Amino acid sequence: MKKLIVMMLLSISLFAQVKEEMEVPYIAYEIKMGKGFDAVNANCLMCHSFGYIINQGPQSKLFWKKKIDKMIVHFKAPITKEDQKTVLDYLYKHYGNGELK
Amino acid sequence: MKRRDFFKTSIAASAALVGSSLSAGVTTQPITGRKISKVAFPEKRPMITYSDRPPLLETPRDIFTQSITPNDSFFVRWHLPDIPTYIDPDAYTIKIDGLVERELNISLKSLKHDFEQVEVTAVLQCGGNSRSAFHPIPGGIQWGSGAMGCAKWKGVRLSDILDRAGLKKDAQWIGFNGLEKAAYYETPNFVRELHLEELDDHVILAYEMNGEDLPYLNGYPLRLIIPGYYSDSWVKMMSHITVTNKYKSLFFMDEAYRVPDNATESETPQKHFKSTKPITKMNVKSVIGYPLEGAKIAYHSQLVVRGVAFDSGLGIKDVQISLDDGKTWESALLDNDAGRYAYKAFRFGFKPNKYGKLKIMAKAINRLGEEQPLAKDVLWNHGGYKYNGIDVVNVEVV
Repeated sequence: MKKLIVMMLLSISLFAQVKEEMEVPYIAYEIKMGKGFDAVNANCLMCHSFGYIINQGPQSKLFWKKKIDKMIVHFKAPITKEDQKTVLDYLYKHYGNGELK
Repeated sequence: MKRRDFFKTSIAASAALVGSSLSAGVTTQPITGRKISKVAFPEKRPMITYSDRPPLLETPRDIFTQSITPNDSFFVRWHLPDIPTYIDPDAYTIKIDGLVERELNISLKSLKHDFEQVEVTAVLQCGGNSRSAFHPIPGGIQWGSGAMGCAKWKGVRLSDILDRAGLKKDAQWIGFNGLEKAAYYETPNFVRELHLEELDDHVILAYEMNGEDLPYLNGYPLRLIIPGYYSDSWVKMMSHITVTNKYKSLFFMDEAYRVPDNATESETPQKHFKSTKPITKMNVKSVIGYPLEGAKIAYHSQLVVRGVAFDSGLGIKDVQISLDDGKTWESALLDNDAGRYAYKAFRFGFKPNKYGKLKIMAKAINRLGEEQPLAKDVLWNHGGYKYNGIDVVNVEVV
Protein backbone atom coordinates (compact mmCIF):
# COMPACT_ATOMS: atom_id res chain seq x y z
CA MET A 1 0.00 0.00 0.00
CA LYS A 2 1.46 3.27 -1.06
CA LYS A 3 1.57 6.01 1.43
CA LEU A 4 -1.01 8.64 0.69
CA ILE A 5 -1.03 12.19 1.81
CA VAL A 6 -3.95 14.41 2.29
CA MET A 7 -3.21 18.02 1.52
CA MET A 8 -5.01 20.73 3.38
CA LEU A 9 -5.89 23.98 1.68
CA LEU A 10 -7.65 26.95 3.12
CA SER A 11 -11.16 26.97 1.79
CA ILE A 12 -12.17 30.07 -0.07
CA SER A 13 -14.96 32.16 1.36
CA LEU A 14 -17.68 33.42 -0.91
CA PHE A 15 -20.69 35.58 -0.32
CA ALA A 16 -23.71 34.47 -2.26
CA GLN A 17 -26.10 36.80 -3.98
CA VAL A 18 -28.37 36.00 -1.06
CA LYS A 19 -25.77 37.69 1.13
CA GLU A 20 -25.00 34.58 3.09
CA GLU A 21 -21.50 33.38 3.48
CA MET A 22 -20.65 30.42 1.29
CA GLU A 23 -17.50 28.40 0.98
CA VAL A 24 -16.06 26.56 -1.95
CA PRO A 25 -15.31 23.24 -0.31
CA TYR A 26 -11.88 21.77 -0.09
CA ILE A 27 -11.42 18.26 -1.43
CA ALA A 28 -8.69 16.00 -0.09
CA TYR A 29 -7.25 14.45 -3.23
CA GLU A 30 -5.30 11.30 -2.54
CA ILE A 31 -2.07 12.28 -4.21
CA LYS A 32 0.78 9.80 -4.01
CA MET A 33 3.77 10.59 -1.83
CA GLY A 34 7.30 10.12 -2.99
CA LYS A 35 10.55 11.69 -4.04
CA GLY A 36 9.97 15.06 -5.66
CA PHE A 37 6.58 15.62 -4.09
CA ASP A 38 7.73 18.86 -2.46
CA ALA A 39 8.42 20.34 -5.90
CA VAL A 40 5.00 19.21 -7.16
CA ASN A 41 3.40 20.72 -4.11
CA ALA A 42 5.21 24.02 -4.54
CA ASN A 43 4.80 24.42 -8.31
CA CYS A 44 1.56 22.74 -9.39
CA LEU A 45 -0.70 23.62 -6.51
CA MET A 46 -0.26 27.35 -7.05
CA CYS A 47 -2.70 27.22 -9.95
CA HIS A 48 -4.69 24.00 -9.73
CA SER A 49 -5.71 21.15 -7.47
CA PHE A 50 -4.23 17.68 -7.64
CA GLY A 51 -7.52 16.64 -9.24
CA TYR A 52 -6.06 17.87 -12.53
CA ILE A 53 -3.13 15.45 -12.27
CA ILE A 54 -5.10 12.45 -11.06
CA ASN A 55 -7.81 12.93 -13.71
CA GLN A 56 -5.32 12.37 -16.55
CA GLY A 57 -4.78 8.73 -15.58
CA PRO A 58 -1.45 6.93 -16.19
CA GLN A 59 0.43 8.59 -19.06
CA SER A 60 3.74 8.48 -20.88
CA LYS A 61 6.80 10.47 -19.92
CA LEU A 62 6.42 12.59 -23.05
CA PHE A 63 2.78 13.36 -22.15
CA TRP A 64 3.82 14.67 -18.73
CA LYS A 65 6.75 16.58 -20.20
CA LYS A 66 4.38 18.35 -22.59
CA LYS A 67 2.06 19.19 -19.71
CA ILE A 68 4.87 20.80 -17.75
CA ASP A 69 6.00 22.70 -20.86
CA LYS A 70 2.43 23.97 -21.39
CA MET A 71 2.32 25.33 -17.84
CA ILE A 72 5.60 27.17 -18.41
CA VAL A 73 5.08 28.41 -21.98
CA HIS A 74 1.38 29.26 -21.94
CA PHE A 75 0.50 29.78 -18.30
CA LYS A 76 3.86 31.33 -17.38
CA ALA A 77 4.42 29.14 -14.34
CA PRO A 78 7.89 30.03 -12.98
CA ILE A 79 9.20 26.47 -12.62
CA THR A 80 13.00 26.22 -12.39
CA LYS A 81 14.93 23.84 -14.66
CA GLU A 82 15.76 21.70 -11.67
CA ASP A 83 12.15 21.51 -10.52
CA GLN A 84 10.97 20.71 -14.05
CA LYS A 85 13.05 17.55 -13.97
CA THR A 86 12.02 16.68 -10.41
CA VAL A 87 8.32 17.14 -11.19
CA LEU A 88 8.60 15.13 -14.40
CA ASP A 89 10.31 12.24 -12.61
CA TYR A 90 7.68 12.30 -9.88
CA LEU A 91 4.75 12.35 -12.33
CA TYR A 92 6.19 9.59 -14.47
CA LYS A 93 7.00 7.42 -11.48
CA HIS A 94 3.58 7.74 -9.84
CA TYR A 95 1.28 8.57 -12.75
CA GLY A 96 3.22 7.02 -15.63
CA ASN A 97 2.13 4.19 -17.92
CA GLY A 98 5.61 2.74 -18.33
CA GLU A 99 6.08 4.23 -21.78
CA LEU A 100 8.47 7.00 -22.71
CA LYS A 101 6.35 8.28 -25.60
CA MET B 1 -13.83 10.60 -2.99
CA LYS B 2 -12.09 7.30 -3.66
CA ARG B 3 -9.98 7.97 -6.70
CA ARG B 4 -9.44 4.30 -7.38
CA ASP B 5 -13.16 3.77 -7.85
CA PHE B 6 -13.29 6.93 -9.85
CA PHE B 7 -10.90 5.46 -12.40
CA LYS B 8 -12.13 1.91 -12.56
CA THR B 9 -14.21 2.60 -15.65
CA SER B 10 -11.49 4.61 -17.29
CA ILE B 11 -8.89 1.92 -16.75
CA ALA B 12 -11.26 -0.71 -18.11
CA ALA B 13 -11.84 1.41 -21.19
CA SER B 14 -8.11 1.84 -21.78
CA ALA B 15 -7.42 -1.85 -21.18
CA ALA B 16 -9.85 -2.75 -23.93
CA LEU B 17 -7.65 -0.85 -26.33
CA VAL B 18 -4.38 -2.51 -25.49
CA GLY B 19 -3.10 -4.38 -28.50
CA SER B 20 -5.01 -2.34 -31.03
CA SER B 21 -3.06 0.11 -33.10
CA LEU B 22 -3.33 3.59 -31.72
CA SER B 23 -1.56 5.21 -34.63
CA ALA B 24 -4.77 6.69 -35.99
CA GLY B 25 -6.33 7.46 -32.65
CA VAL B 26 -9.36 5.49 -31.47
CA THR B 27 -12.73 6.76 -30.32
CA THR B 28 -15.08 4.88 -28.01
CA GLN B 29 -18.08 5.76 -25.89
CA PRO B 30 -17.09 8.36 -23.28
CA ILE B 31 -16.72 7.25 -19.67
CA THR B 32 -20.01 6.96 -17.85
CA GLY B 33 -21.15 6.25 -14.32
CA ARG B 34 -18.42 8.15 -12.50
CA LYS B 35 -19.00 8.55 -8.79
CA ILE B 36 -20.82 11.56 -7.50
CA SER B 37 -18.82 13.36 -4.85
CA LYS B 38 -20.07 13.44 -1.29
CA VAL B 39 -19.18 17.12 -1.17
CA ALA B 40 -21.63 19.73 -2.40
CA PHE B 41 -20.40 23.04 -3.83
CA PRO B 42 -22.28 26.31 -3.21
CA GLU B 43 -25.79 26.25 -4.71
CA LYS B 44 -25.12 22.81 -6.18
CA ARG B 45 -26.13 19.34 -5.18
CA PRO B 46 -23.24 16.87 -5.06
CA MET B 47 -21.91 16.34 -8.59
CA ILE B 48 -19.08 14.52 -10.34
CA THR B 49 -16.11 16.56 -9.11
CA TYR B 50 -12.80 16.76 -10.96
CA SER B 51 -11.27 19.67 -9.11
CA ASP B 52 -12.07 22.09 -6.31
CA ARG B 53 -9.66 24.73 -7.51
CA PRO B 54 -10.57 25.85 -10.08
CA PRO B 55 -13.97 24.18 -9.61
CA LEU B 56 -14.81 21.55 -12.24
CA LEU B 57 -18.15 19.81 -11.77
CA GLU B 58 -19.93 17.46 -14.15
CA THR B 59 -23.68 16.89 -14.36
CA PRO B 60 -24.65 13.27 -13.65
CA ARG B 61 -26.15 11.56 -16.69
CA ASP B 62 -29.59 10.88 -15.21
CA ILE B 63 -30.32 14.62 -15.32
CA PHE B 64 -30.45 14.39 -19.12
CA THR B 65 -34.02 13.13 -19.12
CA GLN B 66 -35.08 16.75 -18.61
CA SER B 67 -35.25 19.44 -21.27
CA ILE B 68 -34.13 22.05 -18.74
CA THR B 69 -31.09 21.34 -16.57
CA PRO B 70 -31.78 22.45 -12.98
CA ASN B 71 -29.42 25.14 -11.72
CA ASP B 72 -28.20 22.98 -8.85
CA SER B 73 -27.09 20.26 -11.28
CA PHE B 74 -25.68 22.48 -14.00
CA PHE B 75 -22.03 21.76 -14.84
CA VAL B 76 -19.23 24.09 -13.74
CA ARG B 77 -15.97 24.87 -15.48
CA TRP B 78 -13.55 27.66 -14.53
CA HIS B 79 -10.09 28.16 -16.00
CA LEU B 80 -8.21 30.16 -13.39
CA PRO B 81 -7.87 29.56 -9.65
CA ASP B 82 -8.88 32.88 -8.14
CA ILE B 83 -12.59 33.62 -8.33
CA PRO B 84 -13.71 36.73 -6.42
CA THR B 85 -14.73 35.91 -2.88
CA TYR B 86 -17.32 38.63 -2.67
CA ILE B 87 -19.55 40.36 -5.20
CA ASP B 88 -21.82 43.22 -4.24
CA PRO B 89 -24.70 43.26 -6.74
CA ASP B 90 -25.48 46.89 -5.86
CA ALA B 91 -21.98 48.02 -6.76
CA TYR B 92 -21.33 45.73 -9.72
CA THR B 93 -20.79 47.42 -13.05
CA ILE B 94 -19.72 46.32 -16.49
CA LYS B 95 -17.38 48.54 -18.43
CA ILE B 96 -17.58 49.06 -22.19
CA ASP B 97 -14.63 50.84 -23.78
CA GLY B 98 -12.30 50.86 -26.76
CA LEU B 99 -13.56 51.98 -30.15
CA VAL B 100 -16.85 53.41 -28.89
CA GLU B 101 -18.34 56.89 -28.99
CA ARG B 102 -19.20 56.76 -25.29
CA GLU B 103 -17.42 54.69 -22.64
CA LEU B 104 -20.02 53.13 -20.41
CA ASN B 105 -20.13 51.72 -16.91
CA ILE B 106 -23.48 50.00 -16.60
CA SER B 107 -24.75 48.83 -13.24
CA LEU B 108 -26.72 45.61 -12.82
CA LYS B 109 -29.72 47.67 -11.88
CA SER B 110 -29.47 49.74 -15.03
CA LEU B 111 -29.13 46.60 -17.14
CA LYS B 112 -32.37 45.32 -15.69
CA HIS B 113 -34.27 48.60 -16.08
CA ASP B 114 -32.87 50.67 -18.92
CA PHE B 115 -32.69 48.01 -21.62
CA GLU B 116 -35.14 45.67 -23.28
CA GLN B 117 -35.22 42.38 -21.36
CA VAL B 118 -35.01 39.25 -23.51
CA GLU B 119 -34.97 35.50 -22.92
CA VAL B 120 -33.47 32.59 -24.79
CA THR B 121 -33.43 28.89 -23.95
CA ALA B 122 -30.07 27.57 -25.05
CA VAL B 123 -27.67 24.68 -24.56
CA LEU B 124 -24.34 25.43 -22.91
CA GLN B 125 -21.79 22.74 -23.75
CA CYS B 126 -18.04 22.62 -23.16
CA GLY B 127 -16.11 21.94 -26.37
CA GLY B 128 -14.34 19.15 -24.49
CA ASN B 129 -17.54 17.46 -23.35
CA SER B 130 -17.15 13.65 -23.68
CA ARG B 131 -13.39 14.05 -24.13
CA SER B 132 -12.83 10.69 -22.40
CA ALA B 133 -14.03 9.08 -25.64
CA PHE B 134 -10.71 9.84 -27.36
CA HIS B 135 -7.66 7.52 -27.15
CA PRO B 136 -4.85 8.11 -26.64
CA ILE B 137 -6.17 10.74 -24.31
CA PRO B 138 -5.70 14.29 -25.38
CA GLY B 139 -4.74 16.47 -22.43
CA GLY B 140 -7.49 18.24 -20.58
CA ILE B 141 -10.27 17.22 -18.25
CA GLN B 142 -11.50 13.75 -19.07
CA TRP B 143 -15.18 14.66 -19.09
CA GLY B 144 -17.93 12.09 -19.43
CA SER B 145 -21.10 13.30 -21.17
CA GLY B 146 -22.12 15.82 -18.53
CA ALA B 147 -20.21 18.98 -19.42
CA MET B 148 -23.42 20.36 -20.85
CA GLY B 149 -26.79 21.74 -19.80
CA CYS B 150 -29.76 23.68 -21.09
CA ALA B 151 -31.27 26.69 -19.36
CA LYS B 152 -33.58 29.60 -19.96
CA TRP B 153 -31.37 32.67 -19.86
CA LYS B 154 -32.67 36.18 -19.27
CA GLY B 155 -30.77 39.35 -19.89
CA VAL B 156 -30.01 42.12 -22.34
CA ARG B 157 -28.95 41.93 -25.98
CA LEU B 158 -25.26 42.59 -26.47
CA SER B 159 -26.15 44.56 -29.59
CA ASP B 160 -28.33 46.92 -27.52
CA ILE B 161 -25.41 47.60 -25.19
CA LEU B 162 -23.02 48.17 -28.08
CA ASP B 163 -25.59 50.48 -29.72
CA ARG B 164 -25.83 52.50 -26.52
CA ALA B 165 -22.05 52.87 -26.49
CA GLY B 166 -21.96 53.59 -30.22
CA LEU B 167 -19.43 51.60 -32.25
CA LYS B 168 -16.83 53.61 -34.13
CA LYS B 169 -16.43 52.97 -37.85
CA ASP B 170 -13.38 50.77 -37.64
CA ALA B 171 -14.70 48.58 -34.80
CA GLN B 172 -14.22 44.89 -35.64
CA TRP B 173 -13.41 42.77 -32.61
CA ILE B 174 -15.18 42.59 -29.28
CA GLY B 175 -13.13 41.33 -26.33
CA PHE B 176 -14.80 39.91 -23.23
CA ASN B 177 -13.18 39.55 -19.83
CA GLY B 178 -14.49 38.12 -16.60
CA LEU B 179 -13.29 38.44 -13.03
CA GLU B 180 -11.46 35.13 -12.62
CA LYS B 181 -7.75 35.65 -12.03
CA ALA B 182 -4.61 33.58 -12.29
CA ALA B 183 -2.11 32.95 -9.52
CA TYR B 184 0.63 34.77 -11.44
CA TYR B 185 0.40 38.19 -13.02
CA GLU B 186 2.11 36.84 -16.12
CA THR B 187 -0.56 34.20 -16.76
CA PRO B 188 -2.85 35.30 -19.59
CA ASN B 189 -6.32 36.40 -18.54
CA PHE B 190 -9.28 34.44 -19.76
CA VAL B 191 -10.13 36.95 -22.46
CA ARG B 192 -12.21 35.97 -25.46
CA GLU B 193 -12.52 37.88 -28.69
CA LEU B 194 -15.34 37.57 -31.16
CA HIS B 195 -15.64 39.20 -34.53
CA LEU B 196 -18.61 41.55 -34.91
CA GLU B 197 -20.01 39.32 -37.65
CA GLU B 198 -20.37 36.44 -35.18
CA LEU B 199 -22.49 38.46 -32.80
CA ASP B 200 -26.13 38.44 -33.80
CA ASP B 201 -29.19 39.51 -31.83
CA HIS B 202 -29.37 36.16 -30.08
CA VAL B 203 -26.22 36.96 -28.10
CA ILE B 204 -27.16 38.29 -24.68
CA LEU B 205 -25.62 39.28 -21.39
CA ALA B 206 -27.60 37.19 -18.92
CA TYR B 207 -28.15 37.78 -15.23
CA GLU B 208 -30.85 35.16 -14.76
CA MET B 209 -30.89 31.40 -15.30
CA ASN B 210 -34.12 29.39 -15.09
CA GLY B 211 -35.84 32.21 -13.23
CA GLU B 212 -33.13 32.66 -10.58
CA ASP B 213 -30.01 34.79 -10.30
CA LEU B 214 -27.13 33.06 -12.02
CA PRO B 215 -25.55 30.65 -9.54
CA TYR B 216 -22.15 31.86 -8.37
CA LEU B 217 -20.35 29.00 -10.02
CA ASN B 218 -22.14 29.59 -13.31
CA GLY B 219 -20.88 33.14 -13.52
CA TYR B 220 -22.84 35.36 -11.13
CA PRO B 221 -23.81 38.09 -11.63
CA LEU B 222 -23.47 38.31 -15.42
CA ARG B 223 -22.34 36.06 -18.23
CA LEU B 224 -22.29 36.02 -21.99
CA ILE B 225 -24.77 33.73 -23.79
CA ILE B 226 -23.91 32.75 -27.38
CA PRO B 227 -26.61 30.30 -28.47
CA GLY B 228 -25.40 27.51 -30.73
CA TYR B 229 -21.74 27.99 -29.83
CA TYR B 230 -19.59 25.93 -27.48
CA SER B 231 -19.24 27.46 -24.04
CA ASP B 232 -15.63 28.63 -24.28
CA SER B 233 -16.72 32.15 -25.18
CA TRP B 234 -19.63 32.34 -22.73
CA VAL B 235 -17.49 34.45 -20.38
CA LYS B 236 -18.52 34.30 -16.72
CA MET B 237 -18.59 37.12 -14.14
CA MET B 238 -18.34 39.43 -17.09
CA SER B 239 -16.82 42.75 -16.13
CA HIS B 240 -15.31 44.31 -19.21
CA ILE B 241 -16.08 44.59 -22.92
CA THR B 242 -13.46 46.16 -25.16
CA VAL B 243 -13.99 47.07 -28.79
CA THR B 244 -10.94 46.98 -31.07
CA ASN B 245 -10.08 47.01 -34.74
CA LYS B 246 -7.32 44.44 -34.46
CA TYR B 247 -7.32 40.88 -33.23
CA LYS B 248 -5.04 40.43 -30.24
CA SER B 249 -2.96 37.34 -29.80
CA LEU B 250 -4.42 35.53 -26.81
CA PHE B 251 -3.63 32.13 -25.36
CA PHE B 252 -7.23 31.19 -24.79
CA MET B 253 -8.01 32.10 -28.40
CA ASP B 254 -4.89 30.95 -30.23
CA GLU B 255 -4.01 27.74 -28.43
CA ALA B 256 -7.04 26.43 -26.58
CA TYR B 257 -10.41 25.38 -27.96
CA ARG B 258 -9.24 24.79 -31.51
CA VAL B 259 -9.53 21.89 -33.94
CA PRO B 260 -7.51 21.00 -37.05
CA ASP B 261 -8.40 23.31 -39.93
CA ASN B 262 -9.18 20.56 -42.45
CA ALA B 263 -12.38 19.07 -43.85
CA THR B 264 -12.66 16.29 -41.25
CA GLU B 265 -11.24 18.37 -38.36
CA SER B 266 -8.99 15.44 -37.53
CA GLU B 267 -5.36 14.37 -37.24
CA THR B 268 -3.26 11.54 -35.86
CA PRO B 269 -1.68 11.50 -32.40
CA GLN B 270 1.77 11.27 -34.03
CA LYS B 271 1.29 14.08 -36.49
CA HIS B 272 -0.83 17.04 -35.54
CA PHE B 273 -2.26 19.12 -38.36
CA LYS B 274 -0.47 22.44 -38.55
CA SER B 275 -3.22 24.98 -38.86
CA THR B 276 -6.18 25.11 -36.52
CA LYS B 277 -9.51 26.93 -36.24
CA PRO B 278 -11.81 27.80 -33.32
CA ILE B 279 -14.41 25.18 -32.37
CA THR B 280 -17.32 27.70 -32.66
CA LYS B 281 -20.65 26.03 -33.56
CA MET B 282 -21.87 22.82 -31.93
CA ASN B 283 -22.48 19.68 -33.95
CA VAL B 284 -25.56 17.46 -33.66
CA LYS B 285 -25.59 15.33 -30.51
CA SER B 286 -27.83 13.29 -28.23
CA VAL B 287 -27.35 11.80 -24.76
CA ILE B 288 -29.50 9.12 -23.13
CA GLY B 289 -30.46 10.02 -19.53
CA TYR B 290 -32.46 6.86 -18.79
CA PRO B 291 -31.81 4.01 -18.39
CA LEU B 292 -28.22 4.15 -17.20
CA GLU B 293 -25.34 1.87 -18.18
CA GLY B 294 -25.55 -1.51 -16.47
CA ALA B 295 -29.15 -1.09 -15.29
CA LYS B 296 -31.26 -4.20 -14.76
CA ILE B 297 -34.62 -3.95 -16.53
CA ALA B 298 -37.51 -6.31 -15.81
CA TYR B 299 -38.47 -8.57 -18.72
CA HIS B 300 -41.58 -7.35 -20.55
CA SER B 301 -41.88 -4.25 -18.39
CA GLN B 302 -42.70 -0.84 -19.85
CA LEU B 303 -39.32 0.75 -20.51
CA VAL B 304 -39.20 4.36 -21.64
CA VAL B 305 -35.81 5.49 -22.91
CA ARG B 306 -35.36 9.21 -22.33
CA GLY B 307 -32.73 11.70 -23.35
CA VAL B 308 -31.94 15.06 -24.89
CA ALA B 309 -30.75 16.14 -28.34
CA PHE B 310 -29.48 19.44 -29.75
CA ASP B 311 -27.32 21.08 -32.39
CA SER B 312 -26.11 24.58 -33.22
CA GLY B 313 -29.64 25.92 -33.68
CA LEU B 314 -30.61 24.52 -37.06
CA GLY B 315 -33.03 22.39 -35.09
CA ILE B 316 -33.46 18.69 -34.32
CA LYS B 317 -35.71 16.95 -36.85
CA ASP B 318 -35.60 13.41 -35.53
CA VAL B 319 -34.09 11.24 -32.83
CA GLN B 320 -33.89 7.55 -33.67
CA ILE B 321 -33.42 4.57 -31.41
CA SER B 322 -31.89 1.23 -32.34
CA LEU B 323 -32.14 -1.94 -30.27
CA ASP B 324 -30.37 -4.23 -32.76
CA ASP B 325 -26.88 -2.74 -32.94
CA GLY B 326 -27.81 -0.16 -35.54
CA LYS B 327 -29.44 -2.45 -38.10
CA THR B 328 -32.85 -0.80 -37.78
CA TRP B 329 -33.87 2.56 -36.34
CA GLU B 330 -37.19 3.87 -35.06
CA SER B 331 -38.13 7.47 -34.35
CA ALA B 332 -38.56 8.57 -30.75
CA LEU B 333 -41.23 11.04 -29.61
CA LEU B 334 -39.96 14.63 -29.30
CA ASP B 335 -41.17 17.21 -26.79
CA ASN B 336 -42.61 20.60 -27.61
CA ASP B 337 -40.49 23.26 -29.16
CA ALA B 338 -38.64 25.43 -26.65
CA GLY B 339 -36.77 27.14 -29.47
CA ARG B 340 -34.08 26.05 -31.85
CA TYR B 341 -31.21 26.44 -29.39
CA ALA B 342 -32.85 24.37 -26.64
CA TYR B 343 -32.63 20.68 -25.78
CA LYS B 344 -35.13 18.54 -27.60
CA ALA B 345 -36.14 15.95 -25.01
CA PHE B 346 -36.97 12.57 -26.55
CA ARG B 347 -38.66 9.41 -25.30
CA PHE B 348 -39.09 5.95 -26.72
CA GLY B 349 -41.23 3.30 -25.04
CA PHE B 350 -41.10 -0.44 -25.58
CA LYS B 351 -41.30 -3.75 -23.75
CA PRO B 352 -38.02 -5.69 -23.73
CA ASN B 353 -38.99 -9.18 -24.89
CA LYS B 354 -35.64 -10.96 -24.71
CA TYR B 355 -33.63 -11.81 -21.61
CA GLY B 356 -30.00 -10.84 -21.36
CA LYS B 357 -27.92 -7.97 -22.65
CA LEU B 358 -29.61 -5.13 -24.49
CA LYS B 359 -27.80 -2.33 -26.28
CA ILE B 360 -29.77 0.90 -26.67
CA MET B 361 -28.51 3.41 -29.23
CA ALA B 362 -29.71 6.99 -29.83
CA LYS B 363 -29.00 9.09 -32.90
CA ALA B 364 -30.09 12.67 -33.50
CA ILE B 365 -30.65 14.16 -36.96
CA ASN B 366 -31.01 17.89 -37.60
CA ARG B 367 -32.96 19.81 -40.21
CA LEU B 368 -30.00 19.82 -42.57
CA GLY B 369 -29.92 16.04 -42.42
CA GLU B 370 -26.70 16.00 -40.41
CA GLU B 371 -26.64 13.04 -38.06
CA GLN B 372 -24.41 11.64 -35.35
CA PRO B 373 -21.74 9.18 -36.50
CA LEU B 374 -20.96 5.97 -34.64
CA ALA B 375 -18.47 6.62 -31.83
CA LYS B 376 -15.74 4.75 -33.71
CA ASP B 377 -16.23 7.05 -36.70
CA VAL B 378 -15.68 10.24 -34.71
CA LEU B 379 -12.18 11.23 -35.80
CA TRP B 380 -9.45 12.00 -33.29
CA ASN B 381 -8.14 15.52 -32.62
CA HIS B 382 -5.45 16.53 -30.15
CA GLY B 383 -7.70 18.72 -28.03
CA GLY B 384 -10.38 16.07 -27.69
CA TYR B 385 -13.05 18.47 -28.88
CA LYS B 386 -16.49 18.10 -30.46
CA TYR B 387 -17.20 14.41 -29.71
CA ASN B 388 -20.74 13.63 -30.91
CA GLY B 389 -20.90 9.86 -31.37
CA ILE B 390 -24.21 7.97 -31.37
CA ASP B 391 -24.96 7.43 -27.69
CA VAL B 392 -24.99 3.87 -26.40
CA VAL B 393 -26.31 2.47 -23.11
CA ASN B 394 -26.03 -1.23 -22.28
CA VAL B 395 -28.58 -2.74 -19.91
CA GLU B 396 -29.55 -6.23 -18.85
CA VAL B 397 -33.06 -7.60 -19.15
CA VAL B 398 -33.79 -9.90 -16.21
